[in-house]
Amino acid sequence: MMNLNPDTLKLPQRELAGQADKPILRLEAIRKVYGKHVVLDDLNLTLRSGEVVAIIGPSGSGKSTLLRCINMLGPATSGRVVVGDLAIDESIPPTAQQLTSLRRSVGMVFQSFNLFPHMSVLRNVSLPQERVLGRSRKDADKRSRELLARVGLAEKADQYPARCSGGQQQRIAIARALALDPQIMLFDEPTSALDPELGLEVLLVMQELARSGMTMLVVTHEMNFAETVSDRVIIMADGKIIEEGPSKEVMRDPQTDRAKRFLKAVKDR
Amino acid sequence: MNDLLSFWLDSLPALLDGLTVSLEVTGVALAIGFPLGLLLALGVQSKARSLNLISLCVVEIGRGAPALVVLQFAYFGLPQAGLTLSSFAAAVFALAWNTGAYTSEIIRAGLESVPIGEIEASSAMGMMRVDTLRFVIIPQGLRVAAPALLGFATQMLQASSLCFAIALPELTSNAYVIGTNTFRYMEILSLAGILYAAICVPATIAVGVLEQRLGKHTR
Repeated sequence: MMNLNPDTLKLPQRELAGQADKPILRLEAIRKVYGKHVVLDDLNLTLRSGEVVAIIGPSGSGKSTLLRCINMLGPATSGRVVVGDLAIDESIPPTAQQLTSLRRSVGMVFQSFNLFPHMSVLRNVSLPQERVLGRSRKDADKRSRELLARVGLAEKADQYPARCSGGQQQRIAIARALALDPQIMLFDEPTSALDPELGLEVLLVMQELARSGMTMLVVTHEMNFAETVSDRVIIMADGKIIEEGPSKEVMRDPQTDRAKRFLKAVKDR
Repeated sequence: MNDLLSFWLDSLPALLDGLTVSLEVTGVALAIGFPLGLLLALGVQSKARSLNLISLCVVEIGRGAPALVVLQFAYFGLPQAGLTLSSFAAAVFALAWNTGAYTSEIIRAGLESVPIGEIEASSAMGMMRVDTLRFVIIPQGLRVAAPALLGFATQMLQASSLCFAIALPELTSNAYVIGTNTFRYMEILSLAGILYAAICVPATIAVGVLEQRLGKHTR
């Protein structure tokens, strides 16, 4: 069912997206401290439009914290996030307008799905479109059904989330985020709460999304995804990027000792 | 036995009138008190200092002062300050305040039971705080609070019997008046008790059923 062979993934859209080569997201000197504990240590990162970047690394290395800095769910202590034309200084509270425009540009998918359990699947996907983008119920529902079909869940529209498996719920969450037409999608360990089989359905959807040219930043423990779907892999440890480069190179031939140790540990399992 | 039944039958119209007043005063107090409780719950959670402080005062006084004291304060005390309330209005004032103060805690617990992840997802999508409250937090929080709120409503019906202290012609007052006239306190108060129970027991059962229904889609 799922083919993560890298050769099948070289599709024209991705090449095209790569050619645009325009930075869509830039993180500048992102630093986050809790008291004396440094969680993110002057981190810099640039994503080009259409690029898929996987962030891997041991627990507690600051991967999820970094994602939460980007959409200001948990702002950094200092540093700058630049999304398109929008530049946000993390050290000062953003204006409501900045925050809205940042969050419209950046979609996020969580480890724990975070669907609204009291709403049908369709309402879950449509409500944010109505409230954030001001779409009519009819237009929102139409878009929702398209996206639910895209993630293979057209028939679940009228169910409640509790009637869906974890993998289905995560795919709904992806549809919900996509419905707001984000420029960048952040994934925070999207398959970590799922058993391998259900995780696979989610990875397939993400793979399809990557092929379609979506810019994606994915925190993951799925080494196969990192190696074969993403263009670039970043290895983080202790709040720093310790290794970064084209996926295959980083995954197969890491340069630093710390990265070697981490990759050996995950691959030898 | 026949004597008792005919006494009850004779007294029933007066007691039913009283029960109507009890239900009215409770109903109006709840209709004001529940929304007040929601507002107070939001106020207590608010980060705006003044709003937070005012809400805390209203809640703590409402919970700290016995309902009977607030009741008498409203009916006998306020006229001294130039505000004269009818016994019905005074009863509504006191019971609504009491309801608002107590239910604000029930509702706050309900609101806080909504998983933080859903709230984060909502703000990550760019939904305004007020929309998150309206569509995500309040509907789920109230659902969690509903059984406790309805349980509180039956307690409030019983608490409305305190209004007898301010001469509101509700169920307990009317029973008491009949008692003073006939000296058959035991019989008439028993009937009053049965009438309270006739409302409260089915209500309690209904709350149980509701509780099961509300949990449906999450199970």
